[in-house]
Amino acid sequence: MLEFLAYEFMQRALITAFFVGGVCSWLGVFVVLRGLAFIGAGTAHAAFAGVALSYLLQIPPLLAAITFGVLTAWAAGLLEEKGRMKLDVSIGILFTSTMAMAILFIGLMKAYSAEVYGYLFGSILSVTPSEMKIIVLLSIVIISTLLAFSKELYFIAFDQDMAEASGIPARLLFFLLLTLIAVTVVLSLKAIGAMLVFAMLLIPASTAYQLTHSLRRMTRISIAIGIVTSVSGVLLSYWFDLPSGPTTVLLQTTLFFIALILPQRRTNQPDPS
Amino acid sequence: MLKNLEEEQPRHVIAFSNATYNLTHTTALKEINLDINEGEFVGIIGPNGSGKTTILRAILGLLLPQTGTMQIFDCACENLRCHHRARIGYLPQKGKIDRNFPITVIETVLMGRYGVRGLFRQIGKKDKAIALQALEDVGMQNFQNYPFGQLSGGQQQRIFIARALAQQPQVLLLDEPTTGIDTTTQHTILELVRRLHRELQLTILLVTHDINLISPFVDRLVLLNTRLFANGNPRDVLQYKILSQVYGDEIIVTDNGYVIGGDSHHE
Repeated sequence: MLEFLAYEFMQRALITAFFVGGVCSWLGVFVVLRGLAFIGAGTAHAAFAGVALSYLLQIPPLLAAITFGVLTAWAAGLLEEKGRMKLDVSIGILFTSTMAMAILFIGLMKAYSAEVYGYLFGSILSVTPSEMKIIVLLSIVIISTLLAFSKELYFIAFDQDMAEASGIPARLLFFLLLTLIAVTVVLSLKAIGAMLVFAMLLIPASTAYQLTHSLRRMTRISIAIGIVTSVSGVLLSYWFDLPSGPTTVLLQTTLFFIALILPQRRTNQPDPS
Repeated sequence: MLKNLEEEQPRHVIAFSNATYNLTHTTALKEINLDINEGEFVGIIGPNGSGKTTILRAILGLLLPQTGTMQIFDCACENLRCHHRARIGYLPQKGKIDRNFPITVIETVLMGRYGVRGLFRQIGKKDKAIALQALEDVGMQNFQNYPFGQLSGGQQQRIFIARALAQQPQVLLLDEPTTGIDTTTQHTILELVRRLHRELQLTILLVTHDINLISPFVDRLVLLNTRLFANGNPRDVLQYKILSQVYGDEIIVTDNGYVIGGDSHHE
């Protein structure tokens, strides 16, 4: 039953799933609470465009993906600040234009590259040792940053005016959050793929949102769902020969709908005496 | 003799001197000269767009004067994170808060400690004790684990006042604290603010559009209309000849005082 642990590719896949699931679902709490779901989606496609360009120009994919992802996230943030157009329209334009870039870059390649499509759909079982090290390293950086700034990020998500009035550098932290989203998307590309990484950011946190009224508890539940479903997705994909990314996302979706129809959503509501 | 003189002089905690504040396309406050003394309860009134909220944002350091100066505790506080700002508690206008945000009452009040603690410093037992005391001060100590979104409008305002108190402020800025709640609760909230003013010796600035509701509670009324139009005892400020110059035809005299026609207060 546990013979899969003997395979190095499975060890790498499980470690990667643990970190990607955990980081995406923690950061996802801020994405959901701050209403940045569309920015997450746009960033994923921009990062994929960066990967496609890197294969076209023979440059390191990680660097290109991070550059494209961060620039798109910041552009979306600036558009939100300016508020000259409705945010869904602005992000929609960014979203489609970066996807157009990705398709253009792929079209300009002289040969078909299966590796590029690996970043679109994800392939956690083919994560190499060096890729896993980068994913773990970036995860630790993101976790450390979240630990350092979580109280301020919660405050901004709840009440930006009050946070600013309290002397919290709200704008700086908003752009830090956008940067973290971009880096998280990039580190998840190989494992989950540009098409589905958005779901990893969104679904565990949205499920947790249904189950509690407490910020702390929402965060813990989201992280637990993210890790358990990611690791389970890898195991199911190994046992039943399924693609791991969609399996993980569909597991998360199932939990989301279960949470949605649970009769007693949002517990911990003691009657005031 | 010198000591007696010092005791007689009230200490200015906030001092505007010829201060002008411009927003993107307009002058929000022009040449404001205003001193707020330690321990005062001051009401700020004025029509829509008169600069009521702007003056609070200026005190908070979210806006800097284009000309003139504004000092808090004798400090210009041009740095947003100046330690003097931590001595100012703030209750923003209602309206931007998501009622479904997953947050408990105690988590909300603890946010008042975040600015005091500063970056990289986590909230500890001492902060929790201060937050619980703030909840007790507003009479909501039994609600600490209750979902914030399920409280009534009046209860939510109490929680926000507790959050401001958790900063352990010397000055409390309240922006339309009675908006969107029923008349009985409005009085309860103002009674609470008056009690906190007395018991905690707080200096309070309260912005409101409801000139009749606030006047019995405050020591002084400030009437704004971009410029500082009137400043003094509520009885002296609430004169028809003064109000009609600012509100124009909108001012209506009734048995219960003055009514501002078509009153919606948001700036």
